Amino acid sequence: MGKSNTDLNRRQFLKSSAVAVTAIAAVGAGVGYIKKIKGTDIRQQNILRPPGAVSQDTFIYGCIKCGLCVQICPIQAIKLAGINEGLSYGTPYIDVRTQACDFSCDSLQCVETCPTAVLNFKQFEEVGGNALTEYQKEHDVSDPDFNPFKIQIQAMREAVTMGFAVVNEKTCLAVKGEGFTGTPRGEDFEGLNRTPARGGGRGMGRGQGMGKGLGRGKGLGRGEGRGEGREHEEGDSSDHEERGEDRWQQGESKASLLKNKHYEREICNLCVTECPIGCSAIEMKETQGQDGKLTFKPNVLDGCTGCGVCVMVCPTENPSIIVEPLKQESHV
Amino acid sequence: MFKNIKNLPPIPAKPVAEMPHTKLGMDYNVWCKSQKGNHKWRNIRWPVLIAVNLLFVFSFFFELSILEGSLSGSRALGFYLIDTYNALQVILISIPGGYFPSLTMNFWIGFSTILFLSIMGGRTYCSWVCPYHFLAEMAEKLHDYLVNKKKIKEHSFNIYLRFVFWVGFLLLALLTKNIVFENINPVGILSRAMIYGPGLILLWVLALLIFEIVYSKRFWCRYVCPVGATWAITGKAAPLRVKFDHDKCGYCRDCQDVCEVPHVLWFVQRGKATQKTHYADSDCTRCGLCIDTCGGRALSFTIKGLDKIV
Repeated sequence: MGKSNTDLNRRQFLKSSAVAVTAIAAVGAGVGYIKKIKGTDIRQQNILRPPGAVSQDTFIYGCIKCGLCVQICPIQAIKLAGINEGLSYGTPYIDVRTQACDFSCDSLQCVETCPTAVLNFKQFEEVGGNALTEYQKEHDVSDPDFNPFKIQIQAMREAVTMGFAVVNEKTCLAVKGEGFTGTPRGEDFEGLNRTPARGGGRGMGRGQGMGKGLGRGKGLGRGEGRGEGREHEEGDSSDHEERGEDRWQQGESKASLLKNKHYEREICNLCVTECPIGCSAIEMKETQGQDGKLTFKPNVLDGCTGCGVCVMVCPTENPSIIVEPLKQESHV
Repeated sequence: MFKNIKNLPPIPAKPVAEMPHTKLGMDYNVWCKSQKGNHKWRNIRWPVLIAVNLLFVFSFFFELSILEGSLSGSRALGFYLIDTYNALQVILISIPGGYFPSLTMNFWIGFSTILFLSIMGGRTYCSWVCPYHFLAEMAEKLHDYLVNKKKIKEHSFNIYLRFVFWVGFLLLALLTKNIVFENINPVGILSRAMIYGPGLILLWVLALLIFEIVYSKRFWCRYVCPVGATWAITGKAAPLRVKFDHDKCGYCRDCQDVCEVPHVLWFVQRGKATQKTHYADSDCTRCGLCIDTCGGRALSFTIKGLDKIV
């Protein structure tokens, strides 16, 4: 430094400009590459963006890759992509077959924590707020049972649109009329799943007033109507249905390892019973054939949020239900 | 303002009688060798840098809620912090992306906190937090060794190159609606690699380091990094500075030799200083190497204006 030779300066300037032009051109070409890979692979792998992602394009591009969503997720469903995974480097994704989002955090914390609003919390805030207002209209604050949180939470999670589940009828056990007994993903599977609040989800169609449907799972839904279905979890002998209710009252339900759960189903309906959203998202459709034989088929409904729990719990070798990312419209 | 100082007529260089070595009654060359500095600031700075980065790692690993996130965006005890250059790009792309109104209060808190810190301290982040700076310091030592052995030649570029990059990457963000820069930012890459596990992208950082070793000293930090350039701009009037005392200077320019951005010490050359007291330019990363190395103790950290208040 400090040499003020004009010739040297001119050469230095030319050299510097050359570097700048080359570098920015190279980066521009890199962007073209990212644009090319962003849409293809993601559709084939049960790979989703976290809840609340604004449209796929904007999401990938607006993300500053800080990883706060990764850190806040209590079940480590969210991961950051490397450069060799066919996704845009550093962006968060959920591989639902390995670990689906089971709404363990209750309040969509990954969305809330996102500093750049590419996971956009505003929409959920609105939905939650509306549900709260509805609830307050019908309930008195002085009521000892007054508890709007579950309503808010349920409304918020129902507003999630990560993708949409699709059943593969060729391999689905229920379609084949087969049952399932055992641990769906084997003894080595490390995925976590929180038992769904069946009482909460049931009877809450999307269009209905949010306050009404929470009548504690009156009458069994069709899916679990296969009353023989039983589930045991180590160290917990209480009835499934009861637990679903308790969960809200005690505010305590940890996601537990799927490998510790044992299911016995005459007709496999894990995707239906484990759905954290409930009957607005998936149901077991029974049809009586002409010969009087019942056939079954899991039927995905409009309420599906694409959380992927059904994919994670599906016991077949390759999941018989997959989540396709929506061709996302911007939520804004 | 700084240009003006540079354009003032230089004060005359000190006569031999006033040079620090004469005052000590020593020969100049002997004085230069005898007055080698210490590593006081470096020995504080490196542990701080390592501690901050480890705090990120531990916060995730042990689920402590102390310093979550990574260096591109984080939350310290619940308070959001967002890298200013990233935040600028987010703002730029959120407008055509249509989600500008959705930017949260946390975003604005994080943005303004770091902005405020950089206004007060300029590029202090670079040498006290940035993990790439640490690696580049090592690479620099290797580079200097190779240059001394005459194995390679030093290549320098124009220092304003990074402002070209600064504008270039902002324009790219605006045109492509993509935070392009974060894909190649070694600071974020290293931070993420430490916290979330390494990946192939570290090869890019390695390539940068090799380039710095064999071709151009501190290439990224000096000529490219728009993160630092942002804070060089916002820190134009930062009160935290390295202060220069002309009376104690021996014109040896050791300080410029160790400096990451030697042009900030333009006044240390014989006959360049225009005032008795100078402050390093805003590009200065406050690493303290110059302070450590200065035999005459002519350089020191100071908070500008504090003497006036106190």
